[in-house]
Amino acid sequence: MAPMRRGAGVSRPASNNGLARAIRYLGRHKSTNLPAYGALIIATLAQLAVPQLVQNMINAITNGATAKQILALPSLVQPPLAAAAGFTVDELRAWQANAEGWLINAAVLIVIFAVVRGAFSFIQSFMSEKTSQGVAFDLRNEIFAKIQRLSFSYHDQNQTGQLMIRATDDVEKLRLFIAQGLILAAQAFLLLVATLIILFLTNWQLTLVILPILPLALIVFMRFGALSQPLFVEIQKRLSRLNTVLQENMAGVRVVRAFAREPYEQGRFERAADDLFHQQVKIARVFSTLFPLVFLIGQIGQAAILYFGGSFILNGTLTLGNYQSFSLYLIYIFFPLGQLGFIISLLAQASASASRIFEILDTKNEVSDAPNAVELPPIQGHVEFRNVTFRYFNSGEPVLRHVSFEAKPGQTVALLGGTGSGKTTIINLIPRFYDVSEGEILIDGHDVRSVTLDSLRSQIGIVLQETNLFSGTIRDNIAFGRPDASLEDVIKAAKAAAAHDFIMSFPQGYDTPVGERGSTLSGGQKQRIAIARALLLNPRLLILDDSTSAVDLKTESAIQRALDHLMKGRTSFVIAQRISTVQNADQILVLDKGHLVASGTHDELMESSPIYAEIYASQLVGDAQFDETSEIAAAPQEA
Amino acid sequence: MFLDGGRRLLETEANKARNVGATLARFGKYFARYWYGVVVAFTLITIGVWTQVMIPDLSGQAVDCYLFPSSPGSNCWYVTAPDGVADKNEWLSSLTTEERIVGLGGMALALTALFVGGAALNGIAFYAMSRTGQNVLKQLRQDLFQHLQRLSLGFYNENEAGNLMSRITNDTDTIQQVFGFGLLQVVSGALLMIWVVIRMLETNVPYALLSLIIVPVMFVATFYFSSEARKAFRKSRQELGSVNADLQESIAGVREVQAFNREEENIKDFRRVNAANRDANVRAAAFTSALNPVLEALGYVALGIVVVVGGLSVLRNEPLFGTSVISLGVVFAFLQYIQRFNQPVTQIALLWTNIQSAIAGGERIFGLLDTPVEMVNKPDARVMPPINGRVEFENVYAEYKPGQPVLRGISFTAQPGEMIAIVGPTGAGKTTIVNLLPRFYDVTAGAVKIDGIDVRDVTMESLRSQIGIVLQDTFLFSDTVMNNIRYGRLDATDDEVIAAARLIAADSFIERLPMGFQTVLGERGSGLSQGQRQLIAIARVALMNPAILILDEATSSVDTRTERVIQKAFKHLLDGRTSFVIAHRLSTIRSADQVLMVKDGQIIERGTHKSLLAQRGAYYELYMSQFKHEEEAELVR
Repeated sequence: MAPMRRGAGVSRPASNNGLARAIRYLGRHKSTNLPAYGALIIATLAQLAVPQLVQNMINAITNGATAKQILALPSLVQPPLAAAAGFTVDELRAWQANAEGWLINAAVLIVIFAVVRGAFSFIQSFMSEKTSQGVAFDLRNEIFAKIQRLSFSYHDQNQTGQLMIRATDDVEKLRLFIAQGLILAAQAFLLLVATLIILFLTNWQLTLVILPILPLALIVFMRFGALSQPLFVEIQKRLSRLNTVLQENMAGVRVVRAFAREPYEQGRFERAADDLFHQQVKIARVFSTLFPLVFLIGQIGQAAILYFGGSFILNGTLTLGNYQSFSLYLIYIFFPLGQLGFIISLLAQASASASRIFEILDTKNEVSDAPNAVELPPIQGHVEFRNVTFRYFNSGEPVLRHVSFEAKPGQTVALLGGTGSGKTTIINLIPRFYDVSEGEILIDGHDVRSVTLDSLRSQIGIVLQETNLFSGTIRDNIAFGRPDASLEDVIKAAKAAAAHDFIMSFPQGYDTPVGERGSTLSGGQKQRIAIARALLLNPRLLILDDSTSAVDLKTESAIQRALDHLMKGRTSFVIAQRISTVQNADQILVLDKGHLVASGTHDELMESSPIYAEIYASQLVGDAQFDETSEIAAAPQEA
Repeated sequence: MFLDGGRRLLETEANKARNVGATLARFGKYFARYWYGVVVAFTLITIGVWTQVMIPDLSGQAVDCYLFPSSPGSNCWYVTAPDGVADKNEWLSSLTTEERIVGLGGMALALTALFVGGAALNGIAFYAMSRTGQNVLKQLRQDLFQHLQRLSLGFYNENEAGNLMSRITNDTDTIQQVFGFGLLQVVSGALLMIWVVIRMLETNVPYALLSLIIVPVMFVATFYFSSEARKAFRKSRQELGSVNADLQESIAGVREVQAFNREEENIKDFRRVNAANRDANVRAAAFTSALNPVLEALGYVALGIVVVVGGLSVLRNEPLFGTSVISLGVVFAFLQYIQRFNQPVTQIALLWTNIQSAIAGGERIFGLLDTPVEMVNKPDARVMPPINGRVEFENVYAEYKPGQPVLRGISFTAQPGEMIAIVGPTGAGKTTIVNLLPRFYDVTAGAVKIDGIDVRDVTMESLRSQIGIVLQDTFLFSDTVMNNIRYGRLDATDDEVIAAARLIAADSFIERLPMGFQTVLGERGSGLSQGQRQLIAIARVALMNPAILILDEATSSVDTRTERVIQKAFKHLLDGRTSFVIAHRLSTIRSADQVLMVKDGQIIERGTHKSLLAQRGAYYELYMSQFKHEEEAELVR
């Protein structure tokens, strides 16, 4: 195919592990990510000190009480009793004297500790949230930039809503995983390993008892992860199907009403809602098995500890105190296990979203600058099509077949032909909105694929078939292609496009805000702004696609007048339905089903092209403007 | 897109619910429909929580019954002593090590059984609750959709589709997040807290109060942080609205963006709104991140207070701060209670923000459901008999906004088989006239009659199914070309669809699409031109074969040659049927039986093309302006 397909914007090879790629984005946010994980380590390890600190308080009370009890007895019996309790009499005295202080100290210590730990877990949570927001920011920017640069053919095949969902919903799901899932997983791992070490040091035999539950939990984790990910992918699909029905019924509400299709649409919606429901229930079934199951694995470990720990005590290999502190730490084994379910659900959703995000970022841009692209020098206005063939999406029947023609600087070229004959395609190829499938297009002798898109498009003024305005003021919209244009230039362009008068009729004039999709303006007004927008560029090459079809006669004539004036001295390509516009062109290209069937001036074509003659006749018969109006116009003079 | 742009926010409403009680009651009604699921879930979760609280008690029995039955204060209730044993503890102490280990094994098994049972109960409860939540959500969606189907077109004029769409998806999403698991977590957490409080009160009332002294502070902290977070989230939602609007605009208008080389500028602009959104989220994160550590620290403060007071009381053997003297065991018990109390507190607090936004979302959805339906069939509406084609407008007034009439006294009669052309400047009321026929709107005065029957006296379905209308803004569904045309008559065969396309000369371009009639169209019709899309919409109506046809600028983007083919086809198709055409093209207007010239909501001239020209009125002027321009163009050259 086209040799120019490779270039700067072209993506890396698609990766099948989007999540790993997403995690690599963390590297760009070291300044928040490292503190997050540092704080995580401190806060998690600090958590392991809690049982010891609680034990300190308990010790202060029990030892103090014991000391008081024993020291209240006759001094003779004190030493043996003290020894039985594991103390010397001096130690007991110390306990008795200081128990209250030590108790308060221990309590203060635990509060101080809690505050410090709280500070670190705040830092961890805030920093990881900040990191995740940073990653989401990066991803959104990349998606936006990519979408802005992807060629028309990509946008022909992808719907705005779908692309938006990827830039918002999918990014958010991925962000949640980075902010919570990843942190939880790290925390779980850290807690598990540290606790196991503590447990081994406390009593390794008893630790061996609970060790088998870990691989078991891991198997469950993997199994459910693999099971639930495709379910979430399916959820996203069904949800977007439901949203499509909803969206279509709101955007196309008039069509639905006109055909009285409400029951049919209700049926479609209910089916989509039902499909989604069943998938959600399927997921609920998986997770209502998973959550209790991982809990259960941990709890069975607890029962095993009860049995084996008890046996060890009875056999005298373990003390009750050891057993109790062992039990206290057990919670730090079971707690992370219990979170596995939550981690899996975040992981599965994020992984589905990540692949959807990278699918966009990895899309090959079909139209981009060639590696050795040069700046297109100021255009003289010579345009040549050499044997151009074009297929949409490079498949199916060509919509243009072997089209060749030449436009000289300053000429007006009119494109004529039936709906779907390829007129719009020809003008879309000049600013390289699509690349030709075969042949080449030359502007002043430069292949459009050999120059930079910027330098090419900035010298072409275009008025597209459908007028899209953007939120902002009228002035902003006219200055769309040249944001730094002065107000004088904007007004000049507006005057040339016959837009100045209606703009000035608004109380705010050029500062009138344009609502969403230009809702405050009528069709004709929007079109004139679009024309002014193109004219502000003062282009040597002007392209006008069917630009006056949606306005009433009066407006149309105003626009036509403006355009005729402007086409002078510029190479212009015009698609218009009205033969009167066409008649005055320097060159007329007659298209039929993708073929250039005739070209020449009006007079030449009237002689040589039966198709042109037919079109002309149909228009003439249809409108009969000249005959009839001249008839009528002539009438008063006669009267 | 622009710095100072007057952007409309997608989501500006406050995130806080105003009428919590009413909203909850309505959610309640939905849940009541699936009461069995709720009952099952709540019953099982209550039992599940009870098994959970049994566990520490049961584990404690291992010590009391088998490990150290002889220690003071040991209370073994788990084992029943054989008959004739006077002192249970003494009997337990006399057991051999082997007997004790066997006993422990039995206990571990009982505990395991309890765990398995608890897991099963929790699993079933979770499933029942999730299913119920999904059922409610599905019902809510369907009710909403049904309601949206009934709302008048006036509603859709005031509310933009994209805006509505984002509201509905956002709100159902927030509800979805809370229904099911979240709700169950709150319930089980609350049950656990209640149980702990009961146990505390049973054990020692003053210490129970002492332990709970921190709870009001926790409430205050939760309210403070969540309301600050909510404020920050509201800001971030606004910023998200900007991000969405920017995305929407830049993607929908990507052709212009590339044509005018605006990519870099737009990327810069987007970076800015994106950064504002990020910063707002980070600000909110500061509050959400703080809540959990603060609650945790408060929990330790409560622990410290109780242990110090209790410990000192034990050590001094005297009551403190009005409490009674307590034993060491009670202090330990409270130590555990407080720890167990704090766990669900954190859980519920974390869900608090979600719950609030779910209620706010519910409130907005119910608000939408409460939007009054303006257009309904009369209770005694009858089915419209097969239409003959006589259409009468009798002194019709219509308005979209009260006090601003769009039509003012429109009267005319169309005989069966006539073609009526409606012309006039933009905003004159042309589209409004034809919109009254299928009763998209109701007249405010006067009447629209078809075959002498007021359109308000028949059912909308029977009326609309006989009127074919092609609108200026062509709407295509994201489906195949085949199904898009079939929308006109759902039971049409493929051959009939193809025949309809052929009738209006649309078949040749359709066949050249990548997949022919099976090509799936996107929102912008996958590379179709405006004219091609209009042809598909016209084929749709041709297939429908209506008794009355309305073409509202339907061929504005179709070339004149194809337009003639279409007109011929319709002439054939509509033989003897009435049609209404809004057009600017003279070729279309010329062949009309009646031309109505509309201006400012009134018919200012009527007649045929020829008679109107001869009349030299407004129509003549409009017509001449076009002609004059063409002459001028001649002169310029």
